Amino acid sequence: MNSDSGNLWREQVMAIMRLEIKKNFLARRGLWIYLLALAPVLLFAGHSFERLRHGRVCDLGQDNLIFATVFQFFFLRLAVFFGCVGVFMNLFRGEMLEKSLHYYLLTPVRREVLLAGKYLSGVVTTVVIFGTSAALSLAGLYWHIHPQVVRQYLLEGGGLEHVAAYLGITALACIGYGGVFLLMSFLFNNPMIPAAIVLVWEGLNPFLPAALKKISVIFYLQSLCPLEAPLRSKWAFLAINANATPPYLAVPGLLLVTLAGLYLAARKVRKLEINYGAE
Amino acid sequence: MSNKDRQITFENVSKFYGEVLGVNRVNLTIPPGITSLVGPNGSGKTTLMNLMTGLLCPTQGTIRVLGVPPDQPEALFRFLGYCTQYDSFPRGITGYQFVHSYLRLHGKTDSEARDLTQHALERVRLTDAADRKVAGYSKGMRQRIKLAQAISHWPLVLVLDEPLNGLDPLVRAETIALFRSLAEEGVHVIISSHILHEVDAISDQVILLSSGYVVAEGQIHGVRTEVEEHPMQILIRCERPGRLASRIFEQSSVVEARVHADGKGLLVRTRDPDEFYLALNRLVLDGVDLESVAPADDDVHSVYQYLIGPDGGSI
Amino acid sequence: MAVYKRSYHGYDGPQTSEWSRFAIIPRYAYRGLFQSKIMTAFFVLCFVPPMIFLSLIYVADNFASLAQLVQANRVGSPITIDGKFFLNFLNFQAGLAFILTAFVGPSLVSSDLTNRALPLYLSRPFSRAEYVVGKMAVLIMLLSLITWVPGLILFLVHSSLMGWTWSIDNAWIAWAIFVGAVIWILIIALLALALSAWIKWRIAAGALLLAVFFVAAGFGEAINAVLDVHWGKLINLMYLLETIWRQLFRLEEGSDITAASAWIVLGLICWACLALLGRKVRAVEVVR
Repeated sequence: MNSDSGNLWREQVMAIMRLEIKKNFLARRGLWIYLLALAPVLLFAGHSFERLRHGRVCDLGQDNLIFATVFQFFFLRLAVFFGCVGVFMNLFRGEMLEKSLHYYLLTPVRREVLLAGKYLSGVVTTVVIFGTSAALSLAGLYWHIHPQVVRQYLLEGGGLEHVAAYLGITALACIGYGGVFLLMSFLFNNPMIPAAIVLVWEGLNPFLPAALKKISVIFYLQSLCPLEAPLRSKWAFLAINANATPPYLAVPGLLLVTLAGLYLAARKVRKLEINYGAE
Repeated sequence: MSNKDRQITFENVSKFYGEVLGVNRVNLTIPPGITSLVGPNGSGKTTLMNLMTGLLCPTQGTIRVLGVPPDQPEALFRFLGYCTQYDSFPRGITGYQFVHSYLRLHGKTDSEARDLTQHALERVRLTDAADRKVAGYSKGMRQRIKLAQAISHWPLVLVLDEPLNGLDPLVRAETIALFRSLAEEGVHVIISSHILHEVDAISDQVILLSSGYVVAEGQIHGVRTEVEEHPMQILIRCERPGRLASRIFEQSSVVEARVHADGKGLLVRTRDPDEFYLALNRLVLDGVDLESVAPADDDVHSVYQYLIGPDGGSI
Repeated sequence: MAVYKRSYHGYDGPQTSEWSRFAIIPRYAYRGLFQSKIMTAFFVLCFVPPMIFLSLIYVADNFASLAQLVQANRVGSPITIDGKFFLNFLNFQAGLAFILTAFVGPSLVSSDLTNRALPLYLSRPFSRAEYVVGKMAVLIMLLSLITWVPGLILFLVHSSLMGWTWSIDNAWIAWAIFVGAVIWILIIALLALALSAWIKWRIAAGALLLAVFFVAAGFGEAINAVLDVHWGKLINLMYLLETIWRQLFRLEEGSDITAASAWIVLGLICWACLALLGRKVRAVEVVR
């Protein structure tokens, strides 16, 4: 690759991202993704409001544990998961159904560059939406606590690291699930079936044997979480403990899984044909 | 640049959709000028265009567009524009954005893309509606905005799938004039159309397709001459058609001569038009008075009728 | 003055009755649906649990004879055929019905809206209500075949083995099977159609249908955990249905919410779905 084509590809990726990000953010039918992201914010704001209304004693440790639980069992497994389904499956399959993908394929853009542009636009969209959601949720959680206490916790009690970790995990979740769902949109005409299977697989993760646990996105994400959330289910006794993967393995592991997914998707996009009648 | 690099070539190209035949064993060479793809519905016109532009991959065979294979979009679409038949657009986009945003993918700067967009919109006379949403356009406007996008980057090869559909007569005439001017500038203009008299008027050559096979290709007159089982029809206008008929039957190539319904002309069917025209010259020199001589079935419509049939079936 | 030959006559032959005209939609929908091998295979799979439950009924009702056959001493059947048994059956089949709906439902209205096909329907003597009823009928008939129809057959089989008295005493179970299944079918069918009409895109509508059930359930649990309340269950559709089924099947175990509140929430969901359908199923679309 010489520098000229490198520059051109960068410009093309940027042009694709400009088009796609606008579509992703402003599509009226993507409203439900915003609602998914808004839900935890409202929940934690409600939590603070309740605490203030009833004048209950603030317990930072307890609140952090509540956040960790909701973050792992609702935010990552459901909100980010379905948000990524909505955004990343829309990138190619959605345009196939709308019969507008051919306009991209009729431009002097390498198919792999198109894939990269679309994927990055999906990552930017989901990271912005769910990253903001995670940040606002934390703000909502700490809203009822005296600012001095919060400042002390953030600066001296390791709080800032926790916040950074949650935001980083959210970004990694978008990157990881994005790669998985983008690949699925190429492999299946109706990607809802594999999406449902992934949902069940990720949901079953606590109960899977240690070896199988590692073949999932949620396992690596949970390993990175600063606090361990207790599993509150009537089936909790069936949960199997597996050693958490250290961050220096979890992050590259997740990125490798994503890259593998993107590589397979790139192979598929190279052979992609426009046959709208078959959709 | 070799001669091959100035042409579009199909070598033994076939495309199957599962068990359904798209096109089969197509061998073609398309030179610059206006080339029309003619054939009934399902004959393989769109498949051929999609293969040429890489939207479909051939099951077998090789395609080269000015020397570039269609699976290299980064090179191909620098000089190729394709106006597809799909009447769908990205959601929520205006006419201007539709042309401009895809020009940015060519690596054009914003100002370059703006100038090119403006020019393309002017050529299809859509400047006034440029800022309206494409979804609110009429069928003719949607057709024109697609055309604007296809020509916006000044392509050397322009592929147009049913480009005249939905256009009113005035715009239709302007669009045909645009194709002509592009062809005169050396652009390959490849058009598929059902409107045979328009194809006849604008095409330098035709490719006739039926049931996925190329039935005929070349200049219309040449194709017509090769259809030997249907002798050429020539309409001769004259005052005394009966007398003329008796003279021209001396020619061995004439198989039929019918007096025209109005009694002021003769419809002749001949197997050798060149020989017939020479004989006609001799008759004129002998003092036979003729008003006009014109071929009656040397057009796409007739070729279509003879090779594909009135019901559009294959030969 | 121009003289026109009046040789053309409009059709004045027989027509199907107005009330049955909606049936044209399911008729053609099934033809398309069962062309999919996966769909056909899954539909057949949906009849496996009823066969298993049928075997259980047979074993329970003939346990003594079967025990003698294998010369076992115990004569009491470990399987009890009661309301709970049929509730378990309904739970199984409801899960399968949901998967079937997620597969079939999202494309029902969205494909017509995406392809601008609604004017084709509505430019004929066919109303918007008939269109919605027709689309609903696709799901209702399909889901009925795997829920309350086999449920009632199981009930009849058990009745035939147990005798007339048992049937009369337990007729409420048949009613519970029928009503419980119909409520479930109506809810998921309405949700599928409304989401399909709202999103106009099959895949996103499918994702949203899954999300409505799973995310709402998860969010409900999160509400309960964070706010230390019980009303979070009100947005858990599966829990709402379970509460109503428990009432129908006369099971005593407590629920975090009352059956009345579950009925009210389900009624509101139905109303919202119908309102959304009324808004979206139109022959014209304004482009802004």
